[in-house]
Amino acid sequence: MYCVADLYKEHADPLGLTLVAGDGGLKRKILVSEAHRPGLSLCGYLKSHAGKRILVFGKVEIEYLRDIAVDQRIDRLRSILDSPVPAVIVARRLRPPKELVALCREYNIPLFRTSMTTMNLLSKLTIFLNEAFAPRLTTHGTFVEVFGVGVLIKGDSSVGKSESALGLIERGHRLISDDAVIIRKREGSILEGSGAELTRYHMEIRGIGLINVANLYGAVCVCASKRIEVVVEIEVWDDTKFYDRVGIEENYCDILGVKIPFNVLPVKPGRDVVLLIETIALNYRLKQIGYNSAKEFNVKLLEEIARKSKSRRLIREI
Amino acid sequence: MKYKCHVRVKNELGLHTRPATVIVKMLQNCESNVSFTYEKETVDAKSILSILMLAVRKNSRITIKAEGNDAKDIITELAEAFDSEFE
Repeated sequence: MYCVADLYKEHADPLGLTLVAGDGGLKRKILVSEAHRPGLSLCGYLKSHAGKRILVFGKVEIEYLRDIAVDQRIDRLRSILDSPVPAVIVARRLRPPKELVALCREYNIPLFRTSMTTMNLLSKLTIFLNEAFAPRLTTHGTFVEVFGVGVLIKGDSSVGKSESALGLIERGHRLISDDAVIIRKREGSILEGSGAELTRYHMEIRGIGLINVANLYGAVCVCASKRIEVVVEIEVWDDTKFYDRVGIEENYCDILGVKIPFNVLPVKPGRDVVLLIETIALNYRLKQIGYNSAKEFNVKLLEEIARKSKSRRLIREI
Repeated sequence: MKYKCHVRVKNELGLHTRPATVIVKMLQNCESNVSFTYEKETVDAKSILSILMLAVRKNSRITIKAEGNDAKDIITELAEAFDSEFE
């Protein structure tokens, strides 16, 4: 469960946060990915007050609190702090009123201060919170970067995912994670794959054991995270199945609601899987530039057929 | 067929490389898909790195799910193995 301590630990520097009071409440849970200025609730209008959001106090809020009488100040602050509010941040290096400090101590709510402007703070905080709450899943597979393309290799155990990754690394490509890939959805439509911190850059090769690729091949052969752009499913060649021989139609698979180009790669002895994965990555890159080999070939073919049909008609007319 | 069971890790050092190796060895010839869920993280139990990634400590509870023809047998075997601390 994401708590204030996690936010403080990960983002204190970019947000410029210093803890002023309520350090006993750092374990308070952050239940929603939203932060807001108290607004009308500070004036006493508590209907539909969102009590679970992080509260940000800017210039207007602090000036308003200074302008009202002490009892009213305490009352209004108490009514908004007596809720599951995870934390309070005062922006623009403004001095929090002592009543706010006292109440945060009383309710054990972490109170922070930052020199950032209120709007900047809110934008950055919202980005960080959205990232923390982004949908995610862990999938079995190997994630590599081939010619700058993030390729997620999937398949049954012992089909050769790890060995293919090793072959790719040896050819100068990068490993992000083997066996368990953590996928996070960012900004609504981008999938980012990474490895768990503990097992990152480790591979398990049957007959050899656990190896650390970063130590063996160096930092140039690994990468912390990458956008997932292509999924390749490796399977043992099945004679009864029909494998795509033209490639005009793009196949997709769905991960966390995002469509990702999908290829099935059948393998059998004699097929260089590493070379084939490189070709898939290069073909994807070409398609991104705007050139689809299969479609271009089809257009040329249709033109040739049309040309032949026209010349035959001319010959008949003569 | 889908089967599910909950087990508790009794090993002093948690689920480290030795018990994880025992688990993958047991699942090597198993037809069913087996997964472990620990603290909201679900992983493929046939992969040793995935089990180790969980970093399960002693007295933690794991949910084992198996789906396939030999699901029931493998669940029973795994439950016994966890109980006997993988000796």
